[in-house]
Amino acid sequence: MTNEFAIITHALSKSYGKNAAVQELDLSVKLNRITAFLGRNGAGKSTTIKMLIGMIRPTCGSGAVLGGDITDTAANRDLRRRVAYVAEDKPLYGYMTVEQIIRFAKSFYPDWRTDVEEKLLQEYELPIERKVKTLSKGMRTKLALLLAFARRPDLLILDEPSEGLDPVGIEHLLRSLVAQAADGVSIFFSSHQIAEVERVADHVCILEKGRLLIDQSLDELRQSYRRIDLVFDSTAPEHEFRFSGVQRIEARGHHLSVLAQSNAEAVVERARCLNALSVEVSPVALRDIFLETVKEDRRALV
Amino acid sequence: MLWYKSWLETKPRFLTSLATLTVFCAVFVYQAQGFVRPEWTRDLNRLLFVNQQFLVIMWVLSVVLLGMGGIIREKAIGTSELTLALPVGRMRLLISRIGVGLLEAIALGLVPWLAVVSVMSIVRKPILASQVTSYVVLLVAGGLVFFAMGILVSSLVGGEYTAPALAFGIVLLVAIISDAWFREYSVWRLVTGDLSIDRSTFLLPQHLPWLGILASLSFALLMVAASVFSVQRRDF
Repeated sequence: MTNEFAIITHALSKSYGKNAAVQELDLSVKLNRITAFLGRNGAGKSTTIKMLIGMIRPTCGSGAVLGGDITDTAANRDLRRRVAYVAEDKPLYGYMTVEQIIRFAKSFYPDWRTDVEEKLLQEYELPIERKVKTLSKGMRTKLALLLAFARRPDLLILDEPSEGLDPVGIEHLLRSLVAQAADGVSIFFSSHQIAEVERVADHVCILEKGRLLIDQSLDELRQSYRRIDLVFDSTAPEHEFRFSGVQRIEARGHHLSVLAQSNAEAVVERARCLNALSVEVSPVALRDIFLETVKEDRRALV
Repeated sequence: MLWYKSWLETKPRFLTSLATLTVFCAVFVYQAQGFVRPEWTRDLNRLLFVNQQFLVIMWVLSVVLLGMGGIIREKAIGTSELTLALPVGRMRLLISRIGVGLLEAIALGLVPWLAVVSVMSIVRKPILASQVTSYVVLLVAGGLVFFAMGILVSSLVGGEYTAPALAFGIVLLVAIISDAWFREYSVWRLVTGDLSIDRSTFLLPQHLPWLGILASLSFALLMVAASVFSVQRRDF
């Protein structure tokens, strides 16, 4: 089963004292896909990623990355040869020059692609003689991406990869991600830039308070979520639409807006039975799905 | 390349320490030998003994500083996420740091003494190579326990100032306590040669206090093992 998954976790949890950072996470990231990992700040994304690459020990549960057990130290060390990880703050050794840090990283990966290194050095216009500590945030991000892309990974784990990049840099990054995926690299990335996610992701996982709320392909999400705007000749009968699949109902006078996670046809059918004056069904953007999901979850937790 | 990384990290501290220790020893011996006639060999020997006293203090402070840094410090500044994503174990990371530190500690013990030998040969004063060797062995082999203590402290505490402050505090405490109650077992007296020197000739004996050196090295190994244990179990 693990052969088709780049990442798979079962009831993976991490607690710090009484605070649960990640709770019983069942995550499955398919190979050769671009999977976006979304969540608000503090949702547990970085903790999950750190558990996957062996920086943090899970409190309980299990997980495998490229078939290697994440709690097995030796297996984890070996899998890091096949995984490229770019952390959120793009940490780099400030005392090294660009050239030194590339030489340093290169020494750990026999499959290092010098052609990619040279191409990206040119495209990113990175000054090889300069100390890393003197680079701008955008330059550091580019350098971190170069170190990840040039090592020929099977899996790329990126935490907020576009942070610090200008629009040109972001465009280049998104294209690179698509190209990497086309080359057979699995990509798992977290981002707060939902527009970027929508452009490149095949699959979306949404995490909130350490729990996985959504784990679906982007196409499925887009197809299943619908916003249905209804107009009635009298006060909108909100209670008539409270059934399975309806995530949120907003009533304003004669107007009713229903957000359906599934079952949109049933909503439309009911509206017609209730003689709605107008029925308008529209797709929902990922941004709205995300906001509704985390909002819904917050309400449930209150 | 991990050794190269450790070297780049410690290079400024090491070179500064090396320059300070070497220049100090060279200048001190050059100035002091002017008051000693070549035939007064006892006083020349005493001069070397005094040089070792000063050198030990500066060497200990230097190696404790060289022991600072490492993965816990990297966690505080954020680069641990880059280091720990490399396909290497935490033990290998620590070993490369200790290896580079060890070589630097040896250089810090050896080079200032070579400077002393050079000065003495320039001013044409006699100096026994065996005595110099003994001082270097006492300093490096006996004193590595201080470097190991620096490694242990930096494996437990990540603060830029907290870790060195704690380490220097421990050095001071060890010096005070051992001098007050355990003079015969004092590591300070061991490395300065104070425990073994012949007071009439100010010469170190042919046979060094190997038991004391072994005890000191064993304690250093224990502290390194404790550092490995701590780093292996830590969440980053």
